[in-house]
Amino acid sequence: MSGQRVDAKVVMLGKEYVGKTSLVERYVHNRFLVGPYQNTIGAAFVAKVMPVGGRTVTLGIWDTAGSERYEAMSRIYYRGAKAAIVCYDLTDSSSFQRAKFWVNELQNFEENCRIYLCGTKSDLLDDDRRKRGIDFHDVQDYADDIKAELFETSSKTGQNVDELFKKVAEDYVQFTSFQEMTEEKGVDLSQKNTPTYFYSCCHH
Amino acid sequence: MSLKSERRGIHVDQSELLCKKGCGYYGNPGWQGFCSKCWREEYQKARQKQIQEDWELAERLQREEEEAYASTQHPQGAQSLTFSKFEEKKTNEKSRKVTTVKKFFGASSRAGSKKVLAGKLREVQETKAASPISRQVSVETDRVSKDFIEFLKPYHKAGQEIYKQCKLFLEAMHHKRELSIEEQSEYTQDFYQNVADKLHARWKVPPEKVEMAMDQIEKYIMTRLYKHVFCPETTEDEKKDLAVQRRIRALHWVTPQMLCVPVNEEIPEVSDVVVKAITDIIEMDSKRVPRDKLACITSCSKHIFTAIRTTKDEPASADDFLPTLIYIVLKGNPPRLQSNIQYITRFCNPSRLMTGEDGYYFTNLCCAVAFIEKLDAQSLNLSQEDFDRYMSGQASPKKQEAENWSADMCVGVRQMYRNLDLLSQLNEQQERIMNEAKKLERDLIDWTDGVAKEVQEIVEKYPLEIKPPNPALAAIDSENVENDKLPPPLQPQVYAG
Repeated sequence: MSGQRVDAKVVMLGKEYVGKTSLVERYVHNRFLVGPYQNTIGAAFVAKVMPVGGRTVTLGIWDTAGSERYEAMSRIYYRGAKAAIVCYDLTDSSSFQRAKFWVNELQNFEENCRIYLCGTKSDLLDDDRRKRGIDFHDVQDYADDIKAELFETSSKTGQNVDELFKKVAEDYVQFTSFQEMTEEKGVDLSQKNTPTYFYSCCHH
Repeated sequence: MSLKSERRGIHVDQSELLCKKGCGYYGNPGWQGFCSKCWREEYQKARQKQIQEDWELAERLQREEEEAYASTQHPQGAQSLTFSKFEEKKTNEKSRKVTTVKKFFGASSRAGSKKVLAGKLREVQETKAASPISRQVSVETDRVSKDFIEFLKPYHKAGQEIYKQCKLFLEAMHHKRELSIEEQSEYTQDFYQNVADKLHARWKVPPEKVEMAMDQIEKYIMTRLYKHVFCPETTEDEKKDLAVQRRIRALHWVTPQMLCVPVNEEIPEVSDVVVKAITDIIEMDSKRVPRDKLACITSCSKHIFTAIRTTKDEPASADDFLPTLIYIVLKGNPPRLQSNIQYITRFCNPSRLMTGEDGYYFTNLCCAVAFIEKLDAQSLNLSQEDFDRYMSGQASPKKQEAENWSADMCVGVRQMYRNLDLLSQLNEQQERIMNEAKKLERDLIDWTDGVAKEVQEIVEKYPLEIKPPNPALAAIDSENVENDKLPPPLQPQVYAG
C-alpha cells in the first residue's frame, strides 16, 4: 500500500502540452526523454524528499489534466495545496492567458497556496529569440503584481528546474516554521487540512 | 390404498391454511404459518431479542477483551488494583464465567487465553448460524477489535490510553447519532486530530508509528461506526447514488475515442488490466474502512497506469490518467459511488486524504464523477444533435465506427451491425409505408366527402318534385270513349267439323 507520508501538496497547473509532466519528470528522475521511458508507471503523482536546511521535506507533486474540458473540476485539485506551479509555454501566448485564469482561481479560492509562475521550454528560445510569445517584462510585472515567483525553465536542458522546486520546498519550510512560531500554543482544530505532524525524519 | 394416503397427504384442512395466530387471514409456510402482519410482529419481537442478546454478548466480549488486554499489559501482581477489583466483581457472578475469566488471568500464557477467545468466537459463529439474523458484522467487528488490541500492545501505556480514548469516542458517537452527518464527521475529524497530536506530543511516539497507529485507530472506530454513518438516511446520498448510476447507464455509448483515452483494449494484456481496474473500483463498495476503500481506488489507478504504459510505452501524465479513469468508471458503474465518496470525505483521516498518493487518486475519482455528472456534447467534442441522438438511443456511435474499422472485427459483431443496419432500413421503410397508408386514408376520406358534396349540390340544384299526374295524359285512357266503338277483340273459335 502506498503509505508514504507527504508534508506539502504541490499542484501543477497549466494548459495542455505546456510540459507539466516533462517538468516533473525532469525534476524527479532528472531526465528528458523523447523515446520510450523506463521504470516509471506514471508521473501523475510523485512524492519527492528534499533536504532543506538540516531537515527534510516531502513534496507530493500533483499533475493535473490541462484540457479545457476538465477546467470546471480544477478546484477539486488544488484544494488544500500549499503551492501551485502555474506553467505556461514561453512560445505560446495563449497558454499564458490560461495561466492567468488559474492564478485568478487560486487567489479567489485558495488563499494559503503560494503561486509560482513557470515559463517552460526556454531551450526553444536559445535557438531563436523571436520565438518568445510573450514579453519577459510583462510577465515579471504580472508576477510582482500577484506576488508570485517567476521561473523560466527547460525540461530538456534541466535549466532552472531544480531551482524552482528547491524554492518551493524552502518557502514551505520557512512558512510553516513561521506559522509554528506564531501559533506556538494550542491546537487549532478548525484547521483540519494541514498536516499536524512535521518531522525531520522520513521513512523511505 | 397408497392412492388414498397420497390423497390424504395432499389434502389440507382449511384451518391449516389460516394464520397460526388465528387472526382470520391466511398464513404462509414461509412465515412459519403466520400471516404477513402477525409474522412481522413476531419477527420484530425476535429481532429485538436478538439485538438485546447481541448487545449483551458484545459487552461481555468487550469486557473480557479489556481484561485480557489488562492482564497482558500488567503481568501478574504488579498492577493488582484494577485486577483485584475485577476479581471481586466477578466472584459474585456465575461460576462458569469465573472459570473462563480465571483462564484469562491464569499465568498460563497468552496462547491459553487465545484458545478461549477462539472458542468464544466459535460460539458466536454457531449462534449466528442458528439465528435468522446474520451476525457476520459482529464477528468481523470482534476480529477487528482483537487485532486492534493486539496492535496496541507494544505501545504500552500509550496504547492503553488510545484504547480508552477510542472507547470514549465511540460512546460519544453513539449519543450523537441523531445529529447531522456533518456534525458527526466533524467530531470524528477532531478526534483524529486530537489523538494524532497526543500521540506525538504527549506520548512521544515516533512519526512512522503515529501514522501506523492512526491507520489502526481509523480501522477500529470506522468498522464500528460504518453501518450508522455510511449512506445515512438523513442525507440525500442514496438519491445521488441512483442518479449517478442512471446517468452512467445513459452514457453507455461513450467510446474511449470520444474521451481521448490512450488505452488500446485490443491488446490482450491491456484489456486484462482494464478488467482488473474495473474490479478494483467495484470492490471499493464492499470495504468498511475508509482507508481500505482508498486502497481499492489506488489499486485501480495503478492498473490504469499499467494499461496506459502498455499502450503508449511512456509514463502516463494526468492528461492520460484522468480520461482513462473516467472511462473505467463509466464502464464499471461502481455501486453507491456517491455514498462511498462522501463517506471517505467525511470519515477518512484527513492527513492521508489531502496530500498523499491515495489522496491524489481519490481526488481524481471525485473529478471523474463530477465530469460524468456534468458531461455534455462539448466535453466529448460532439455536436449537440449527435449527443442528443446518442442519449435518446436513436443512434449508436459504435455502428459508424464499425464501418471504419470493420476489417478485423469478429464475425458476430459484424453480423450484428449488419442486422442493425437492416433493422433501421426496415424501420425507415415501415415508416414510409405508414405515411403512405395514412395519406391513402386521407385521400379516401376526401374522396367520399367530395362525392357526397357533389351529390348534395346536384340534389340541391335539381330538387326532386313529385307532381300530380298530368290530366291530359290521364284522359288518354279514361276518356277514350271511342273504344267502345271498336270491334271486340277476336276470339278464337272452334269449328266443329
